[in-house]
This record gives sequence, C-alpha cells and structure tokens, in this order.
Amino acid sequence: MSGIGDAADRNTDGVVAGAERTFRSLGRDLVPIGAVAVLLALLPIQFHDSRSMMTVIITGLLFMAYAVAFNVIFGSTVQLFLCVGALAGIGGFSAAILSERGGIPMLVCIVIGGVLAGLVGGLLSWIAVSRSLDVIFTGVVTLAFSLSFQSIILGRRDLTGGETGIVVEAGSDTVLGGKVGAYYVLLGVVVAYLVLFRLIQRSHVGWAFRALRNDEVAAELAGVDVTRYRVYAALVGSTMLGVAGSVFAFHRGFIGPSTYAFADVDVHVLVMLVFGGIGSLLAPVLGAVVFTILDEILISFAQLRVVLYGAVIIILFLGFRRGVIPTLESAYSRWRHRGEGA
Amino acid sequence: MTAVLLDGVVLGLQFGLLGVGLTLVYGLGGVLNLAHGQVAVLGAIVIARSMDAGMSTGVSIVFGLVAVGLLGLIVDLTLMRPVYRLRGESRVLLGLLLMLGVGTLIDGVLEWRYPIEALTLRVTGDPVSILGVRMSYGSIVASAIALVVGVALFAFLRFSTFGRATRSVIQDEEGARLCGVNPAVVRSTIFVMSGVLAGVVVITRSMTAPITVTSGFGLTIMALIVAVVGGLGSVSGAFVAGILLGVVNTVSAYTIGSYATTIILLTAAAVTIVLRPSGLFGDRT
Repeated sequence: MSGIGDAADRNTDGVVAGAERTFRSLGRDLVPIGAVAVLLALLPIQFHDSRSMMTVIITGLLFMAYAVAFNVIFGSTVQLFLCVGALAGIGGFSAAILSERGGIPMLVCIVIGGVLAGLVGGLLSWIAVSRSLDVIFTGVVTLAFSLSFQSIILGRRDLTGGETGIVVEAGSDTVLGGKVGAYYVLLGVVVAYLVLFRLIQRSHVGWAFRALRNDEVAAELAGVDVTRYRVYAALVGSTMLGVAGSVFAFHRGFIGPSTYAFADVDVHVLVMLVFGGIGSLLAPVLGAVVFTILDEILISFAQLRVVLYGAVIIILFLGFRRGVIPTLESAYSRWRHRGEGA
Repeated sequence: MTAVLLDGVVLGLQFGLLGVGLTLVYGLGGVLNLAHGQVAVLGAIVIARSMDAGMSTGVSIVFGLVAVGLLGLIVDLTLMRPVYRLRGESRVLLGLLLMLGVGTLIDGVLEWRYPIEALTLRVTGDPVSILGVRMSYGSIVASAIALVVGVALFAFLRFSTFGRATRSVIQDEEGARLCGVNPAVVRSTIFVMSGVLAGVVVITRSMTAPITVTSGFGLTIMALIVAVVGGLGSVSGAFVAGILLGVVNTVSAYTIGSYATTIILLTAAAVTIVLRPSGLFGDRT
C-alpha cells in the first residue's frame, strides 16, 4: 500500500549524527507522545464523576493500545494479522485463569499473559514467513486461528466459563479496581507502547522494517533478514496485545467470549489504524479518539454503528488509503517548503 | 452412520456451491470476497420479504437472485474498479479489505432494518429412501438443485466459449488480453454469477435450516474454508473439498461435538495453506 511509511522516514536523518544530536532528536521525537500523554491525562478531570463516561474513555484507551500493537505488526511489516482480539484474549484469558484458579499474583499473570500471546503471535508469524505465505494467506490463517480461539473459549467451559465468561477478582482491590486508577494505568501502557514504537522506528530494526516494507526482494538482497524482522515485529506486537488484554481483564473484573471477539475488536482496530494512517506513530491515537467520540455520539443508534463501520471502511480504503496523519504531514511539509523557497 | 454420511454429502454439495462462488472471483481478479456470505443472506432476506409481501415463492426467488446478481454487478463496477487498477499484493490487500467493509455494511444494514427476518422454504413431500435411509424431501430437492447447478456451471466453464475465456483469464490475464479476451467483462460476469450462486446456496440451505440475518459471517467463513482447501481458483477443487468437508462436518458433529467441528474445519483450512497452498488437489480449472 502506498505511503505507509512516509511519515516515519522523515525523522530518521538525525540518527546517524553525533550522540548529543541524537539525544536532542530523541527528545524532539518524544514531544508528540508527551503532548498526547498530557492531553489524555487531563480527561478524567472532566469525566471522573461519570462512571459511564469513564468506561467509554477506558475502552478508548484499550483500543488505542491494541491499535499501536497492530501498527507494529501490520504497519511496520505488512503482516495481515486478523487475530488482534484473539491474541489479546490469549493474554486476558490465561492471566484470568492463572489468577483465579492458580492464585498467582496479578502482575505475574499479566507478564505471563503477555509472554504467551507473544509466543503464539511469533509462532504464527514464523509459520507464515517460513512458508512464505502472501498477505491473503496470512490473513486467512490468522482468521482461522481467531475463530478457533473463539470456539475453544466457548467449548472449554470448565476453564473459560463458556458463554457466561469468568469473573476476575484479583484486580478489584488494586489500582485497577477503580475507574480513574485503571484509566491512568492504561494510559501508562499506551504511552509506553508509543515510546517503544518510536524507539523501534529510530533503531536499525526500524530501518529494516522500512526496507522490507518498501521492497521485500531488494531488502533481502541488501542483507536484511526479512524472516527474522517479521517474526520480531509479531513477537513484540503480540506481547503488547497480550499485556493490554490482561490488564483490561483485571480492570473489568469479568471477561467473556465477546470481550475479545473478532467482530468486536479486529474490525474496529483496523478502521482506527487506517483512518489515522497505517504505520504512522500517532495514527492509533487519532483513530481511537475519533472513533470513541463517534461511538459515543451514535450510542442511541447502537445498531447503526455496524453500518457506519462498514461504510467507513469502504470510504477509507477507496479514497483515503494514506490516512489522516500522513496526508496532513505531507500537506504541511509542502506548505513549509513553499515558504522556504519564496 | 450411513444417514450421517448422506447428510454430510447433502451439506457438502451446498458447501461446494458456496466455495465455487468465492473461488471464481478470487481466481479471476485476486479479490477475496469476504462479503460472500453476507451477499447470500441479503438475497435470502429479499426472498423472505417478497414472500411476506404476498408474492409466490417462485417470483420471490427470481427477485432474490436478480437482487444479488445486481448487487454483484454494482460492486464490481464501482468498488472493484480501483482494485483492478492495482497489481500484485496491494490489489489483493485492497480487495480483501474493501469486501470486508461491504460485508460489515450489509450485516449492519440487515441487522438494523430486519433484525428478526429469516428465510425458511418449506418443500413438502414424502421422505425418500436412499440406501435404506429415509431422507427428507427438502434435502433431496436441495441436493438435486445444488448438483444440477454445479454440473451446469462446470459444463459452462469447460465447454462454452465464455467459459474458456474465463479460464484463460484465471491462468494468465495478460495472455488472455492478447488473445482478444476482455478481462473486465469476464470479471463482471463472474462477479454477478458468484452472487447468484450465493443466492442459490441460501435457497437450498433454507430448505433444511432457516437462514437468519446473522448467518452471513458464518457462510463467508465456510466459503473461505472450502475455497482454500480446494485450492483458491479451482472450481472442481472447491466442489470436491465441499463434499469432503460436508462429510467431515456432520461426522465430527455427530461423534465429537459442534465446537470441535468448527475447530477441525478451520484447522483444515490453515493446514492446507501451510502445507499445500495450491489446495488439496492442486489442479487449476
């Protein structure tokens, strides 16, 4: 897809310079993330006494975290993982089961949830890459995995509670128990993910990602180990999904089959990311904010939401494939260059 | 057990028809139609609404088939134009994502406007005895329709000039163009045919089980599994895979249970992709 990484390429000229300049450019790189963090941190001041609004913005943050993770996998290395929800669910369900049945401390459960999701995602990617599956077959295999996971959740009633789901109590008397506390924890997760995404973009791994995304064959010829970097991206992204999924499980106190269902997670994450601009740092933030607001406006027309998502997907891919952020950035840089030329 | 096997074949014939529609469109233009099942359900709802409005079953069915065919044509002429302008991986990706959007849109519209609508066609007649098993008249009619449509489609692709043109585009788009075949016309026709085939499937399905507005996603996934196991682009492969998976489906549902069945079918698709991406049979029709 054209223009996936234009935005990412602009900040890389500083990397090769001296340490001091690198440090300064790192600072400059982190400014947008800081700004986002401050703005989002102010939200609970407005909404802290409305439980329903807090639920809305917490869900918004969760999807932001999912979208950053998906951005690592799909945006960086064009692996169409149609199992965002399932990977988050592996994290969520294994953390919940370990905590409820095994009595293992919450933090350990979250770590294990993340690691398990990472391993599964890495394995899926390794299979896809080593059998050199193209984008469509990767999509079908991960979709099959998604739906199988859903069936396992429904079928293994003894472990997962089937359709009724399971209650997760361990989070209730921690910081995750309250709405405001959970909001800031998730905000911390999102900011950490964004910083990690930026650091990856700036490192040699980011160079490899861009190279293999622009032209896989050329990258391979230039000595980029395409297999290794694809699997890396899937490992990192899936771990992020698992951690976000299990943090949410401990906050919500209850998870069921629809918490991580394909129709409820994957489609939304895809729309959010594409809207913002695939591969661009802040795309998940913009996408999640815009669609959380839209969801809230449409709340009284709940059934219309599915119609809207369908229409938005079509319009976005038809006429707006680059996304909002890259379009704005290239408009801005054109405007600035014109200013310099005059 | 014979009854279970026969039920499997009945189901499998319909799976086959479902998969063929998907596989043809993919083979021709590289578009993985993730809205296939939703289009089919739209057809079912048109039929059900027409029958509610007092039209006869036959007229309603014609209505439904025309509606899905028309929808296929519109989608092909509008949404798919930019897709066909692309090449290689970006074409595949854009086609898949656009059809995912179309499927979501149809799902949303149907659930919004007609949340409780469902299509059940009652075919009345005495049960027929086959191999000592009494099969309901509905499944016999459904299988007969599926078989006739399947054979007709196969003969059409194999022996008619248009069928040859279609297969030539599947094999080599540029080569077909050089021989005077217009891929755009072939693609539009096949897109329409794929929609009509989906319509036929819901008609035959609704003779044994109701088609509801939420059936779409499941049908799409089933079509996908069948097409993948048969080899994307292979018509005969889709039919054989359909019957095979239909039998696997009923046998496993009968002996193990329905959750395990879903997993087995999905795993069959995933394993096929990983081990034999060209499908179980590997030939290209």
